[in-house]
Amino acid sequence: MGNEAIARGALEAGVRVVAGYPGTPASEIIENLAKIAKEGSRKLYVEWSVNEKVALEVASAASFAGLPTMAVMKQPGLNVAADYLLHLSGSGVRGPMVLVSADDPGALSSVNEGETRYYAKLMEIPLLEPGDFQEAKDMTTWAFKLSDTIKNVVLLRTVTRLSHASGTVVLGEIPENGSNAFFKHDGFILDPNEGAILSPPVEYKHTEQQRKLKIAEALFEDSPFNTYTGPEKPELLIITSSICSLYSKEAVSILGVRDRVGILKLGTTWPLPPKRLLKHLSSCDHIFIVEEVLPFLEDEVKILAAEHGKTLGAKFFYGKKEGYLPMVGEMNPDKVAAALSRILAMPQPGMDDVYKKRATEISFAGSPHREATFCPGCPHRASFWTLNTALSMDNRNGFVCGDIGCYSMAVLPAGFSTLKTLHAMGSGTGVASGFGKLGGFGMSQPVLSVCGDSTFFHSAIPPLVNAIHHHSNMTLVVLDNSGTAMTGFQPHPGLEKDAMGNVAEKIDIPEVCRALGAEVRVCDPFDVSESRQVLLDLMDRDGVKVLVLKQSCALSPEKKSLKKYTMSVDQSLCAGENCGCNRLCTRIFACPGLIWDKENNRSRIDEVVCAGCGVCSSICPKGAIMKKEAV
Amino acid sequence: MPELTLKHDPYNLIITGVGGQGNVMTSRAVGNMLSLLGFHVTIGETFGASQRGGSVMSHVRISKDSSWSPQIPSGHAHMVVSMEPSETIRVLKDFGNRDVKVITNTRPFYPVGVISGQISYPSDDDIRTWISELTSKAWFLNATEKAVAIGDPILGNVIMAGALAGTGELPLDREVFHTIMASRFSGDILQKNLDAYAFGVESVLSRKI
Amino acid sequence: MRILGSSELCEDVQKKDLCVDCGACAGLCPYFVSHKGKIARLFPCTLPQGRCHAFCPKTEIDLNHVSETIVGKSYDGSPLGHMRAIWKTRAGRLMQGKGAFQNGGTASSLLVAAMASGLIDAAALTRRKGLIPEPFLATSTDQILSCAGSKYMASPTLASVHEYSREKGQKLAVVGTPCQMTALGLIRMNPLGREDFHDPVALSMGLFCTWALDTRRLIRLIENRVNLQDIQSMDVPPPPSQVMTIRTCDQNLAIPLDEIRTAIPAGCSICPDMTAEFTDLSVGALEGDPSWNTLIVRTEKGESLVEEAVRQGYLERDAMRPEHLEHLRKGASAKKKRAFIMARDKHLLNTDPAKGPSALIIKEDLVKKLLGEEGSCLH
Repeated sequence: MGNEAIARGALEAGVRVVAGYPGTPASEIIENLAKIAKEGSRKLYVEWSVNEKVALEVASAASFAGLPTMAVMKQPGLNVAADYLLHLSGSGVRGPMVLVSADDPGALSSVNEGETRYYAKLMEIPLLEPGDFQEAKDMTTWAFKLSDTIKNVVLLRTVTRLSHASGTVVLGEIPENGSNAFFKHDGFILDPNEGAILSPPVEYKHTEQQRKLKIAEALFEDSPFNTYTGPEKPELLIITSSICSLYSKEAVSILGVRDRVGILKLGTTWPLPPKRLLKHLSSCDHIFIVEEVLPFLEDEVKILAAEHGKTLGAKFFYGKKEGYLPMVGEMNPDKVAAALSRILAMPQPGMDDVYKKRATEISFAGSPHREATFCPGCPHRASFWTLNTALSMDNRNGFVCGDIGCYSMAVLPAGFSTLKTLHAMGSGTGVASGFGKLGGFGMSQPVLSVCGDSTFFHSAIPPLVNAIHHHSNMTLVVLDNSGTAMTGFQPHPGLEKDAMGNVAEKIDIPEVCRALGAEVRVCDPFDVSESRQVLLDLMDRDGVKVLVLKQSCALSPEKKSLKKYTMSVDQSLCAGENCGCNRLCTRIFACPGLIWDKENNRSRIDEVVCAGCGVCSSICPKGAIMKKEAV
Repeated sequence: MPELTLKHDPYNLIITGVGGQGNVMTSRAVGNMLSLLGFHVTIGETFGASQRGGSVMSHVRISKDSSWSPQIPSGHAHMVVSMEPSETIRVLKDFGNRDVKVITNTRPFYPVGVISGQISYPSDDDIRTWISELTSKAWFLNATEKAVAIGDPILGNVIMAGALAGTGELPLDREVFHTIMASRFSGDILQKNLDAYAFGVESVLSRKI
Repeated sequence: MRILGSSELCEDVQKKDLCVDCGACAGLCPYFVSHKGKIARLFPCTLPQGRCHAFCPKTEIDLNHVSETIVGKSYDGSPLGHMRAIWKTRAGRLMQGKGAFQNGGTASSLLVAAMASGLIDAAALTRRKGLIPEPFLATSTDQILSCAGSKYMASPTLASVHEYSREKGQKLAVVGTPCQMTALGLIRMNPLGREDFHDPVALSMGLFCTWALDTRRLIRLIENRVNLQDIQSMDVPPPPSQVMTIRTCDQNLAIPLDEIRTAIPAGCSICPDMTAEFTDLSVGALEGDPSWNTLIVRTEKGESLVEEAVRQGYLERDAMRPEHLEHLRKGASAKKKRAFIMARDKHLLNTDPAKGPSALIIKEDLVKKLLGEEGSCLH
């Protein structure tokens, strides 16, 4: 996998400390390295930090002490770490340091498709983008070398289709264990190797920073990661980077224009190596730029062309700004092929229209829409049942501010469309803190927010402090399922184990909230009637309340494949679609373990899918769903 | 060993199903097998959110000489191996063509919209008819049922990998499979995997499906 | 009388503030619940027809149909409804001092007598927690007495009827306001023709009512003036008094009726029934004497219970003074007329189904007679 390749590349560079926060599509990098750290064959420290800012801080500390180090996160995590990154790129580093940031174009597992690449320009650090699996490894190793040369952070950008795809990679050697950690700080204050590590004096350090970038630019001119394939004088020059280079290659192959179109694949994308680019820009007047998501490369190439307009002459650009490729969503070979055929005024060999028409026709009935939902046995389904019905009973137009995790799906009918705002990690509680102060403007709606146990530690504590300090009226519901579930069940400070499987200090969420001054209750979300009673009670009171709904995730190791109950539906008691029920279990609760048997007008349990949590039994108005303790 | 050839280069294989069914297992198993045989293999996948009951697809590109993009261009699939009948149809809409071949597990995994009664799920007969219409050859088997009989629904994936081998579309063989499985499992679990694989191969070879 | 579904119920009743929280729709299914005096629909139910709509006293009520089913006579618009007899009554010697009676203690006494005779085995009554009314299924004399005392808040009492029905019993007494008794009548008519229906009611006892109060609005009105948990009783003394009195252990709070009236739900303004006309018996205050009640007897069953109760000493009875009866008639007639005029003005009386929902349906000639003017209500 692309992520495995990146992890391997870091190992081959002799990395010692790696820190990050779970985030799709980056998580596997740390998971792989954590496994190696656990084995104990190498001196390696791998940490799931509480959030990305701290991860970057932790990794940089190791660099200050002279060790090769890496920080890993998904793009929104880079936003969280950005403040520190600004100051870190100003102060510079000592041991080589690589920052891996993974974008998710098309938001396949995110609620945004934010860009990493602009950070390189903004923070004035070099940017590398691997174009395939071999490069994912090789460029990571080289990134450490580059960082060592310029003594600053190097940013490596990957995307979902590279990180989560797999291909063949030739492995290199892993060096022996290196030097010890020591932070030398008592030299002359401005000495980059022996003094204090600071971003001020700002102008001086900033000048140094830009000098370092110039060194990188010079090194990029001859980089083997910038490759050209195609004729010497192509009719059309494609400039591309990242996985888009493979899409471009595929599109050129589909249209059969390998002898007419050249592909310049760039791996060093900030700063752009001007000489290398100018060489190719002079070989062709028609330039097609293929990248995802925003026109970062496109803009920079155009700037370069404008700067050298006199010698280059006019160029025809085919990019996003000209409408050849979209500025939203991920790229794929079809989009590139469509643009290419338009540029070259060629028909696009695609799917047989007759087949396509018939296949589409059939798919209306043949492939019913498949919406994501909570797994069978998920505590969130029960929690949102409680939140939603409590708010309805309370009947004052109350609402829930959402946050990031599996429970984000509660914007959908799967969670009874309970969440009414959804933004970034920890933001639900911040927004709720704000709503909770609007009583003075006549707002009497109950305000709730949710966050998961991992999200709580990541960034929900500061807004909780804010709410308590300012006497905001709100209720935070912590959905504690004992893990960072959406991203693959990584540990966090609420658990007893760390990334490497060692014993770690468990921090108790209810205790923290009590110490901060909130009114705290803890319930089992599977006990829906008790949970609802407690919540209704809390919603009636002023101030900041915290309800912790604690029950492990259905996919957690201790629960997987273990059914607590065997469930069944008593067909004689089930009221089906009749007045008094109207299929509450399958129509509204909609756990995948329940099936609506249209022919018999009854519900039944899908034994293969049912996780045996027993919650459906408590919501059935006729007591028709039976639960029996499984042996 | 006779020189291994591919019916198409790159050979485009799509493995599809519902999140949580173990799609990744099949694509890994097949990918590893072909990699061991010396082919360039690229597998494109998505994890994460789509796992929660959504549709999942793995695009497997197999080539003798070079690496291809992790996304198959539309209409270019050669073979579709599907763990879920309606997902087969969904994939064919975007990646099918008159020559495509398909192996489908027949056990439905109902989307939430269906179990909540909002939309209906096609009948077994309709599914078979439609898939047959959209393919040059189609194999149907209830891999889940057999997997449950062997001991774990997740073995359905291994059965399907065996079925794929049985079709002869790709140069997969039992020896290679054994090597791959033995490097990860042993004892009872290894045997169950081998049994599942064998069942898949036999189902196709015996022309019962 | 059209029967529609929960969506129409929400649109036509709850969203128009016509809901009086009688509880007829609550406890039938998982979709409607009453919480702190307000009906909430937890999830949408897609059925085109439901018992919730059928039982609601504010949706398409054919008053004639209810009257014929419960009292056995057609709806004639008479101010006090059909009466076999009307008395002034109070707790008899067996019941003296047994409970915290609001006035004469008639309702409690008759219930105790009914239970003692085996006519009933449970009574759907109302209790109060602070200002929040709670339906309560009383199954003993002590429990009946614990529910004595008027509650002016609308209470979802009928939810208890559904609870009792689930056990398939048929000896239930129900005590409630006119809207609740009307809804009870609808329930007993089995409007959806369900095969599994058995009438659970053995005795229906109405309470006189001019209006009721929305719990949440009332709480907002007085929560800053009194400790809600300490309220012992509440009363609206007869004119010329213009206050509601609320008594706690150390306070006697008087709140102007003008303020209290802001908490009356709009549903009360279209209610034409002051004495709960569709019952076996109806009980209310007696003009000029807070230690007695007015008791209206409407059916044979009601009559025989009263006779028995008097004979055994549960109830004391005397003749009512003609001028009090006249005043009662006048008051009831005024409420009836006000309600029909209001309903007509809101397009809720005999509305053409193509144009919208009706709340009340009565014979056209009655409309003219009651409103004393020409012109029908079909717009």
